[in-house]
Amino acid sequence: MKLPLKPRIPLKGNERVAIAPFLIVASADKPKDKADLANLDLQAEFHRYLIQRLQKKTKLQLIDLGTEVQLPSRELVALSRSTDFWRTIAQKNGADIVVSGSLEFKVEDSAGYKTEEYVSPVTGQTSFRQIYVERTGFLFDIVFLVFDGKTGDKILQDEFKDFRERNRRRADEMLGLFSNLFSLEDQVLNMFVPRERAVQRYLFTR
Amino acid sequence: MARGLTTWLRIAFVATLAATAACASRASEPSVSREMRFGARMGRLGYWREARFRFARVVARDPNNARAHNNLAVALEADGDFSGAFDEYKKAVTLDAADKSIHQNYTRFAEFYTAYTKKVGKVSPAR
Repeated sequence: MKLPLKPRIPLKGNERVAIAPFLIVASADKPKDKADLANLDLQAEFHRYLIQRLQKKTKLQLIDLGTEVQLPSRELVALSRSTDFWRTIAQKNGADIVVSGSLEFKVEDSAGYKTEEYVSPVTGQTSFRQIYVERTGFLFDIVFLVFDGKTGDKILQDEFKDFRERNRRRADEMLGLFSNLFSLEDQVLNMFVPRERAVQRYLFTR
Repeated sequence: MARGLTTWLRIAFVATLAATAACASRASEPSVSREMRFGARMGRLGYWREARFRFARVVARDPNNARAHNNLAVALEADGDFSGAFDEYKKAVTLDAADKSIHQNYTRFAEFYTAYTKKVGKVSPAR
């Protein structure tokens, strides 16, 4: 069955929403991945993607503030408290709400030993053993901050995380970024508009 | 003699009317199993409001029917009334803790509902 999910922000649906830049943090474990990441304009890619999705899937009136707006801080907490800045931005652009936040994209390629608890099936005794763990993939962590245009107050803060395993031979940062974004699309859109989620339930006929 | 016959005829007529009315009221109120079947069918077709109405009627007539409570919970969930659904799932599990399907529905919903309330709880009521 389809499960209705109400939007996280109670909107009428036709509000003017300004999309501001996000704080970007990109990192990689290996030097080669760092070099590849440097060629990727995360800010521009994410900005374009967010506006395009919201334009396509909602009736909100989007205001593209571009990626050149100077944010008042490089810290998320300080950014969320900059009420004057957000109120000014909203008034200047005639926006009802302003969206910003932070975006962390990490190319992980780490391996090492990890201590794990082990219960012997024969003796039932608990011991600790070392196991070799490999973790390679794209980690995506996005925090959305939504501000009220009239007051500049934060009305919603939400975090979405995703990890996608990657093929070591064909690791492309751009594909990794979009596989992360596609998997989170419904959750991101659900902040603004109602969404549906397919769930499985038993229904009795007698 | 004729008067006595008329009285008897009158009594017979009233009795027939009463019996007909009783039959009619029974016919307009479908059986519990029929309501359940119809509600489930409506749910499968996506008419969850109708399904909800049917299951609510079954629950009103048979309050100890765990399956009816479960179905009502599913209909409420599909209709977006999550707190109502949670109450009904709980009632269903309490009434029949051994039913695996009911239990599975309850745990699946509880998992969703916990995450949902945690997230929605963050929304500021200011707007």
